[in-house]
Amino acid sequence: MTRSWRWPLAGFVVGSLVGATLLTVNIVGAFVGEPAEVVVGQVDGGFDGEILHTPPLLVPRGQPVELVYEVVCARSADDPGTACSPKGSVHVRGVGEQAFADVQLADDGYGRLSATIGPDHTIGAGFDYYVDIEDGRGGSQSLPPGGHDVPHHAWTVATETTVALGEHVFGHTRAPDEIVERAEWGTGDGELGLSGGQDEARIGPSAFDIGPDGSAVVLDQVNQRLAVYPLGGAPRQLPIPFDGGEGDVAVGGDGTIYVLDDGGSTTPMPIVRSYDAGGRQIAGTPIAEPVADMIRVGPEGPVVHSYPSELWFPTGNAKPPLSPARQSELARPERAVEGGLGVVVHASSGEARLALVRGEDVVHSWLLKSSTDLGEVQLAEPYGDGLLVVVRLWTETQAEFHVLRMSPSRLEASFSVDRAEWAESAAVSRFRLHGDALYQLRSDPSGIELAAFAIGGTR
Amino acid sequence: MTKRAKLLGFLPGLVGGLTLALFVFGAPAGAYHTDFQGSCNNYFMNLNPITRAESRNYAYSAAAEGYQWGGGCWNTNDRDDSPGDPPGNPNTRGEGPDCSGFTFKAWYERAETPDPWFRYHSLMQNVHGPYTAADFKYGVGAPNITVAKVNTVFADAFASTSHIGMIFWAHTGYNEDRIIEAKCEACGTGTWPRTYRGNPDYSGARRLYWT
Repeated sequence: MTRSWRWPLAGFVVGSLVGATLLTVNIVGAFVGEPAEVVVGQVDGGFDGEILHTPPLLVPRGQPVELVYEVVCARSADDPGTACSPKGSVHVRGVGEQAFADVQLADDGYGRLSATIGPDHTIGAGFDYYVDIEDGRGGSQSLPPGGHDVPHHAWTVATETTVALGEHVFGHTRAPDEIVERAEWGTGDGELGLSGGQDEARIGPSAFDIGPDGSAVVLDQVNQRLAVYPLGGAPRQLPIPFDGGEGDVAVGGDGTIYVLDDGGSTTPMPIVRSYDAGGRQIAGTPIAEPVADMIRVGPEGPVVHSYPSELWFPTGNAKPPLSPARQSELARPERAVEGGLGVVVHASSGEARLALVRGEDVVHSWLLKSSTDLGEVQLAEPYGDGLLVVVRLWTETQAEFHVLRMSPSRLEASFSVDRAEWAESAAVSRFRLHGDALYQLRSDPSGIELAAFAIGGTR
Repeated sequence: MTKRAKLLGFLPGLVGGLTLALFVFGAPAGAYHTDFQGSCNNYFMNLNPITRAESRNYAYSAAAEGYQWGGGCWNTNDRDDSPGDPPGNPNTRGEGPDCSGFTFKAWYERAETPDPWFRYHSLMQNVHGPYTAADFKYGVGAPNITVAKVNTVFADAFASTSHIGMIFWAHTGYNEDRIIEAKCEACGTGTWPRTYRGNPDYSGARRLYWT
């Protein structure tokens, strides 16, 4: 070998080693990811499936109420046949009672189990309940998973303010007072991501929130980043890990950003990760239940609305977050808001009940009645001494969102806004209230925008 | 040899070595696919009509599994065995169904579109069926009809021209519907609260002849 080949050969060897090392680090890093949290599983008694139930939450005082359950059973083998034959009991106690009374669930023969809770349990302030289900193949499960230690709760409503919406007239929507931000679809700087193709959902940014300083934070999960729009400043993009397809975001009073990641097919449990304003990850924790749709920040920190229990699980302020077991111990049916109050929502196609509660007492309750079908309740936030509510109104061919500002005595004001949902976002994260402005995440084929509507009235 | 000459000799070697390493080790990783479908089967059997609950139980077997555009087979280990495949490419042969193939299998439908009766497809049978999401939206095929969304119940579906998901549990507390669906590559297949019912882009879809 001549001396002239020594240095090129040395460069070649070093380059090969560096390249191989970089690839190895990159590949291993991709699989290892962030430090794992210990997932504390629920005690499920060998039950492989899910109990489905919508808690009634707000029931007329002195009236009977039917509790309905259905049970989904995982297949024990890859062949046709009946998966399971569930049966069980509901355990009920009135407010102030220690012992639960057992009520056998009736089976309609098609997998629907139900029990009627009589007026003796609804003449007081409310009742707690939980269900025990046996699947007929040796497994059993409670819902909520905490059973008698963390039961469901229903408040009884003695008086309420009825708001009759009548037949909705479509096509009279209010234009936004301001377009706060606008971005085109894409992966580049200043753009927001859009996914989808044939036989695949068209998904844009999942959610957004407004920080205490008025800055907007958009969860651009398709591009695996947060888009931050400081008030009067230049937009910033903060890369974040994101495993699933959709999620939610909430900004705390100290500026901490909490991101709910549904986990997708990567992890069986949703995850909440917290970030400082610079996008540096503070901590992360899995959620106690397998499906979650909302994260909001309350007086004690972030809370996540999860299924199948439909309870709100606190995940703790940043670091250290609460373990799934601790979340389950502290789960609540109402969403905690300022002033020791909680917001309770129960809606169906024809009517929606909403209430502000304090502990076991209903502070005030509203009953929305509509001749046009009600869709989901997008937002319910305290506003003045009442409530600001955004609900979808729909027919087979039309839909709009309707904004209602309600005082304890009546509907003070209302207006409709365009649904502007060309791209999918998280189910109930299209609106946020900040101060006396309502913000909406809107999309069309050209891009996505944050629109603001002044609400008026006394905040 | 001067430092300049050494550097001029070293740098081309470094670039060459880096390039070779990236080519040798990086290219196969980029083209890597699990070929999950290589382990799938073609097992099925015709059945008498089943209940909606049985259909939902069957669909539940795919929850937490993967999504594969044009795909059709999955196991039950609660994870995507072929994560991160490029979307929209059936040649990646990953785990899981797409939205319309998932509905076809969970509704126990037959590949022969004039035949409305029932067929059990093994979870691991790699079959998509003849329908797209738009076909379900418009009631194409003998087993399928459209239905007013206000009248839908569990195991019915909401379909747009590009996506379909079945009702897992109707009317949550916030009046969403929990939908079981093969959603997207990053999402996988699972159950999520959705607002398809009130979205005019979606229509109600129903399979006929449940018992």
